[in-house]
Amino acid sequence: MSSITPRRAAIGIALILLITLPAWVGNPYYINISSQILLFAVFALALNVLVGYAGLVSLGHAGLFATAGYAGALMLQAGYGHFAADGVAILVALLAAAVFGVLALRSTGIGFLMITLALGQIVWGVAYRWASLTNGDNGVNVTTRPRPFGLSLANADSFYYATLLIFLAAVASMAVFIRSPFGASLCGTRDQARRMNALGYNVWLTRFLAFLFSGFWSGIAGLLFIYYTNFISPQVASLQTSAEVLLMVISGGTATLLGPIAGAAIVVIMKNVVSAYVERWNLVLGVIFVAIITFMPEGLVPGSVRLWRMGWRAFRDRGRANVLRNVSEPPS
Amino acid sequence: MKLRRRTVLKGILGGVSALTLKAPAIAQSAPFKIGLLTVKTGPLAQGGIQMEQGIATLLKEKSNTLAGRKIEFISADTGGNPAGAKTKAQELIERDKVNVILGPLAAFELLAITDYVRDNQTPLISLAAAEDVTQRKANPFVIRPSATSAQCCHAMGDYAAKDLKYKRAATISEDFAFGYEQMAGFQRVFEDDGGKVVKKLWPPLVTPDYTPYIAQIGNVDCVFNGFAGSNPVKFTRAYADLGLKDKIPLLAGWTAMDDALLRSLGDEAVGVVSAAWYSSERDTPSNKRFVAAMQKDYGVLPGGYSAGMYVAGECVEAAIEKLGGQADDRKAFAEALHAVWLTDTPRGPVKFDHLGNVVGDVFIRKCERKGGQLVNTIVKTYANVSQFWTYDEKAFLANPVYSRDYPPAKNLE
Amino acid sequence: MSALKVDALSKSFGGLRVTADVSLTVEPGERRLIIGPNGAGKTTLFNLITGELAPDSGSILLFDRDITQLPSRRRAHFGMARTYQIITLFPRDTIVRNVCLALLGLSPLRWNPVAAFDRQHRLFERARAALARVGLSHIADRPLSQTSYGEQRRVEIAMALAQNPKVLLLDEPFAGLSIDERREVNQLLFAIPRDVTVVMIEHNMDVALEFADRITLLGTRAEVVADPRTREVYLGA
Repeated sequence: MSSITPRRAAIGIALILLITLPAWVGNPYYINISSQILLFAVFALALNVLVGYAGLVSLGHAGLFATAGYAGALMLQAGYGHFAADGVAILVALLAAAVFGVLALRSTGIGFLMITLALGQIVWGVAYRWASLTNGDNGVNVTTRPRPFGLSLANADSFYYATLLIFLAAVASMAVFIRSPFGASLCGTRDQARRMNALGYNVWLTRFLAFLFSGFWSGIAGLLFIYYTNFISPQVASLQTSAEVLLMVISGGTATLLGPIAGAAIVVIMKNVVSAYVERWNLVLGVIFVAIITFMPEGLVPGSVRLWRMGWRAFRDRGRANVLRNVSEPPS
Repeated sequence: MKLRRRTVLKGILGGVSALTLKAPAIAQSAPFKIGLLTVKTGPLAQGGIQMEQGIATLLKEKSNTLAGRKIEFISADTGGNPAGAKTKAQELIERDKVNVILGPLAAFELLAITDYVRDNQTPLISLAAAEDVTQRKANPFVIRPSATSAQCCHAMGDYAAKDLKYKRAATISEDFAFGYEQMAGFQRVFEDDGGKVVKKLWPPLVTPDYTPYIAQIGNVDCVFNGFAGSNPVKFTRAYADLGLKDKIPLLAGWTAMDDALLRSLGDEAVGVVSAAWYSSERDTPSNKRFVAAMQKDYGVLPGGYSAGMYVAGECVEAAIEKLGGQADDRKAFAEALHAVWLTDTPRGPVKFDHLGNVVGDVFIRKCERKGGQLVNTIVKTYANVSQFWTYDEKAFLANPVYSRDYPPAKNLE
Repeated sequence: MSALKVDALSKSFGGLRVTADVSLTVEPGERRLIIGPNGAGKTTLFNLITGELAPDSGSILLFDRDITQLPSRRRAHFGMARTYQIITLFPRDTIVRNVCLALLGLSPLRWNPVAAFDRQHRLFERARAALARVGLSHIADRPLSQTSYGEQRRVEIAMALAQNPKVLLLDEPFAGLSIDERREVNQLLFAIPRDVTVVMIEHNMDVALEFADRITLLGTRAEVVADPRTREVYLGA
């Protein structure tokens, strides 16, 4: 029988909070914001597979996100059903990820970053320029949301639950993936690619498969996005989107499960909620990022854990010092 | 730092704001909520801020009361992108439960939310110019008191061919939909009136230096430009610097020679002929009052962005008035908006066609220096211009929407 | 059949010919020492043999199999393992996980994305056994970053041994070790069973000469060998 550890308790509480969220948030606007956080968390988790676990910083992931979104939106516009559109969108995203992977994995580090950046810009260029297909910067409307098992996802609550389900699946798949032998291999290629090769690993293929995995979840996030906004336009594929999701991963904490989720929450809340009250909200966002990078260079989640432990240790040691002093003091 | 901007804004407007914490039992006494979707951050921010000034000026003038209803005004910054526009529209509709939305600024923002406002039955008064929103994808909840992209350009094409007797024209505009639609409208009428568009140039939205594009212009009678945002200032200056100003007359769309831009322009703008649906030079009491208020409160000459939102506010007032106590029914309100007919707004008479687009005057202006100041003096008025110009609506809508490729440019050299 | 046969191997970097026409044959079970002055291309030779560098010309045979064109990882699967002169380990992992990664490299399990790595008990048992051979059982679960340099040297060797190689290439395994640590590593090397062929680069002559069956002198050939001082230093003649 498994016991209740603090970790399990925390996961349980988080799950209960997430599941009951519509009840205590109430207003559909905030439920929608929550859906948005979850869908960007899926995207950030997908990017984290590369940035955190493979040590490959991609600045072109908006390209994959948008490719899936456009594929889905255009299929729907052409009159196909949701099932076909979503299936094709995911296949197209995987295909795009394969192309991205083959081209970008010729290199690592800055080289990888520059190639992914260029590939992302190509997707943006196609979305913007191939107007007869993509309708240019006027974008493509998605008029309906899917109805899985006949359940309408039209209102905020139901869409939130659908997004939550996919988000949980993403988190679970990441957790399993990263604890697996393949996950360990991937981390090995990040830390010592040369040694991994000498140990018998196919470093390239390991990274390529990780790229596909990342592309798959980026594609899912892209689909969630078009169903959420009911719209896609070239700005979704822009460098800004790629940079934003990278910022989510880095600010939250790379190579952690919670980090990208926290990062997504910060960015989405700043952009959408705080901006209603603070005119210079992007300045505030900038200050927050600078603070995170200065005080918690490893990211918000690992940084908070470190600071909490330091604080706890200081608190505990102070207690101990008092005890010692009391003992050493001779009774008067 | 302003934490509750909304509250602050209310203060600025001088209105006695009614708090909405407790919803009164009688809907009629609750404030009528106007949400503004605008852009306050990023490259489009200037136009966005002018939009807010325009509606704020009207609300101040009316002591925050339109047709007897207290107004609660809520402004939201979309950041100038479609996803932001969608989220902010959700904020206004789902959280703040506004009665009507004014804005947004950019076409791609509008296109991202038209389906959404229809599904949520919230009337929207747009400034953005995207043609199809009042054409092939017309929406019973959207009206547009400003103009479609091409509405003024049709008139410009006509004026260039018939009055100025130009035969050959080059067009230049940013490489995006608003540019395509403007240039298409100009080309269509200009060529139908016997002219030829022989060159079409499309610099990207962010172009540091227009020289390589301007250098391609030659052997034409005029150049029509459709730049927007702060690009017209850069372009007009480069055009003069390269010595073309005195050789080839420059024509402009409304955003390219907006009155609000005049203070950023110098001699390079003198002589530019533009077509616009609003002119601060219009000599009527209502316009004089609006211009004076804008000058007093913000020290600026109002252009289309401010005037558009001021007029949008007047449309709200007229619709509330028409409905009497029933203004809270959003569907009825949208219908009332479509039926609005104003005889005297700063831009002139305003009424709407059955697709929700304005039928109104278009002014041909010539930029001059008067007492040291640049002004766009009205030289001709096209009255009651429809979005279809003089074309038959049915035939017009049977064609594809204006784009880079439509109507095809057959006279390119 | 020889364990490793290198024939007329050459490698240049730009104009610099680092490996010039090197040939050597190592018999199964042999302990071969490779010596030479700095810059003689000893590590480059290792990198060529393990496939981390591609030769310009020449061939490499592992138990008569031509592996010249094979990538590094394939050579590992054919029984070649190496250690590095500069420690090349996984600092974020524990010692035992480092060794597990070595074992995983040769197992099809490495592609498995759903199993739990930490529950691969057989893998971990084998890793602990390998650590026992190098005397590190007691700190198997310590993060690598909290271990001494000498311990890390031994982890390098444990990882190579864990793969049960047929040919083991050791690149300066004594580099930077204290006298005590050297003794421990020395014992370790002597304990390697004779069915493993060992090729070693080492500067430290006391331990190396004792260990080696044969010595290959690598350098700009004639000059180095003719230089009496080098002869004295390396060969005691």
